[in-house]
Amino acid sequence: MSTSPGKADFSPPPAGAAPVLRAARQRPSLSGALIAVASVAIPLAIWWGVAVLVTHMRGVPFPTPLDTYHRLVALLQGKLLVDFTIYRHLGDSLRRFTIGFSLAVGLGIVSGLLFGWSRLLERLSMPTVTVLQLIPGLAWVPVAILLFGIGPRTTIFMIAVTAFVPIVINTTAGVKSVDEMYLRAARMMGADERTLFLRVLLPGSLPHLLSGLRVGFASGWRVLVAGEMVVGTGTGLGYSIMQSRWTLDYCGAFVCIAIICAIGLIVERFILLPLERRTVERWGLARAG
Amino acid sequence: MGARKSRVIVMIELHQVSKVFHNEETGQHVQALRDVSLQIEENEFVCLLGPSGCGKSTLLNLVAGFDRPSGGRVLFDREPVRTPGPDRGVVFQEPTLFPWLTCEQNVAFGLRNLNIEPQRRRGLVRRFLTLVGLDSFARARPHQLSGGMKQRVALARVLALNPRALLMDEPFGALDAQTRDRLQDELLRIWETHRKTVLFVTHNVEEAVYLADRVAVLAPAPDSIIADLPISIPRPRDRFSPEIREATMALMAVLANLPCCVLPSQSEEVGQTVRLQEGG
Ligand SMILES: Nc1ncnc2c1ncn2[C@@H]1O[C@H](COP(=O)(O)OP(=O)(O)O)[C@@H](O)[C@H]1O
Ligand SMILES: [Mg+2]
Repeated sequence: MSTSPGKADFSPPPAGAAPVLRAARQRPSLSGALIAVASVAIPLAIWWGVAVLVTHMRGVPFPTPLDTYHRLVALLQGKLLVDFTIYRHLGDSLRRFTIGFSLAVGLGIVSGLLFGWSRLLERLSMPTVTVLQLIPGLAWVPVAILLFGIGPRTTIFMIAVTAFVPIVINTTAGVKSVDEMYLRAARMMGADERTLFLRVLLPGSLPHLLSGLRVGFASGWRVLVAGEMVVGTGTGLGYSIMQSRWTLDYCGAFVCIAIICAIGLIVERFILLPLERRTVERWGLARAG
Repeated sequence: MGARKSRVIVMIELHQVSKVFHNEETGQHVQALRDVSLQIEENEFVCLLGPSGCGKSTLLNLVAGFDRPSGGRVLFDREPVRTPGPDRGVVFQEPTLFPWLTCEQNVAFGLRNLNIEPQRRRGLVRRFLTLVGLDSFARARPHQLSGGMKQRVALARVLALNPRALLMDEPFGALDAQTRDRLQDELLRIWETHRKTVLFVTHNVEEAVYLADRVAVLAPAPDSIIADLPISIPRPRDRFSPEIREATMALMAVLANLPCCVLPSQSEEVGQTVRLQEGG
């Protein structure tokens, strides 16, 4: 090819095509805001109703949302819950979860890319992954205790192994869903194996991978609480919930449950959903699942 | 033309090439090509014409290096073809732009693989997007473009790699007639400035006659190339000229003896997908 600038005289692209076409942004409408408020208010109202009913009929102090709120404020001001501040419990839980989940994400994505890429590796590993999928998170307790003894590492292991399974399954499916023509095109343009993995298979499998992260996050988060309850970690939100049985501090337990729900919601709304918006939706791809 | 070919270099050569696809599940096999021989000279524009299912894509994929022949030899620039590579730019029927990259990133993809430094890369990207008239869409994503625009980007991304040959598999087959005519003209204009060897697969007779220096007609196996006609109509050509019509009629007469589309030989069901990575 000549190195002189292309002297071909080109007519502009077909009319009617604007330089940048953006999907119309949704405006927050009044009815939308009402629905959002109702989606929070209705469950709260049900909770309140149940609390009042139970307290009257069974004569036990079932915490209302207001009771829980007061207790939350007290805890935030530094009152102790099961020997530690709420901050300590929250921090420990988050740290365990972050370590376990990061392990699951790293291992899950790498193995998923490999299994999706190599039919041999997939056939070798899929029976194991399928079996892992059938094991409920709590069933790992004896295994984890044997491996790591009683303590936070046991919980971390349970989180990692539980979150790993959906991530690896979805990443594998994602890689296999990448159109072979993309691989041909990439090879034709001189891509080596590393480029194929990082710049074709990884982004190409992202719709599936993100739903894997979602499911992995949810199951990992659930098993964090369960893991702390069963394995005596000494601190953590799940541990506190379990201990409140003995201290009869049901309000404290409800605060912990509320915090667990809130964090799950925040991660979903402010991390996972925006991640999906910035990638899959912007690329014009359909979400997986 | 004749004067330029004082030193003829054969760029693409197929020598008695056969290709049989095996379907592992049913155990059946399909003979897609049998004993096909074809030579394409440097800077020649050859159209490969034939009914659907006669093995045109199979032939092109062998030259591209996506597949290996079951028999015979496929040479590119006198070397046996082993793998795909940027010396043979392929434009597929579907644009196959990476949806996760913008237009300019799509064009830059191959340049990055060639380790061209960023400064020069940006220049080349701009130049080739301009060449196909899409410089103002550099930051757009493929899904925001029309089919014709996507094919222009697909062309730009291989031209930017300065390939020795362009392999085009019905690249305008999915476009409406008007867009197709436009893109044909643009392709010819680019080809006039950046001379390249072109192997252009189509089942459209007018398209073949309008574009090609030579039209090779492929018949389904066990037949192979049943006609190989030079189209010596001077360029630039007029689509509606009597010469074009005449050549079109002659080719249609050849094609009239062939079935309009071909069922796979020796089996009713054909496994369509063979995972690419297992071949290489
Ligand atoms: N990967 C494959 N596996 C099995 N059969 C195939 C494969 N690719 C093509 N074929 C068969 O080979 C024949 C030629 O196909 P193809 O080259 O795509 O034809 P064309 O491009 O001329 O329409 C067809 O019968 C098709 O079904
Ligand atoms: Mg084809």
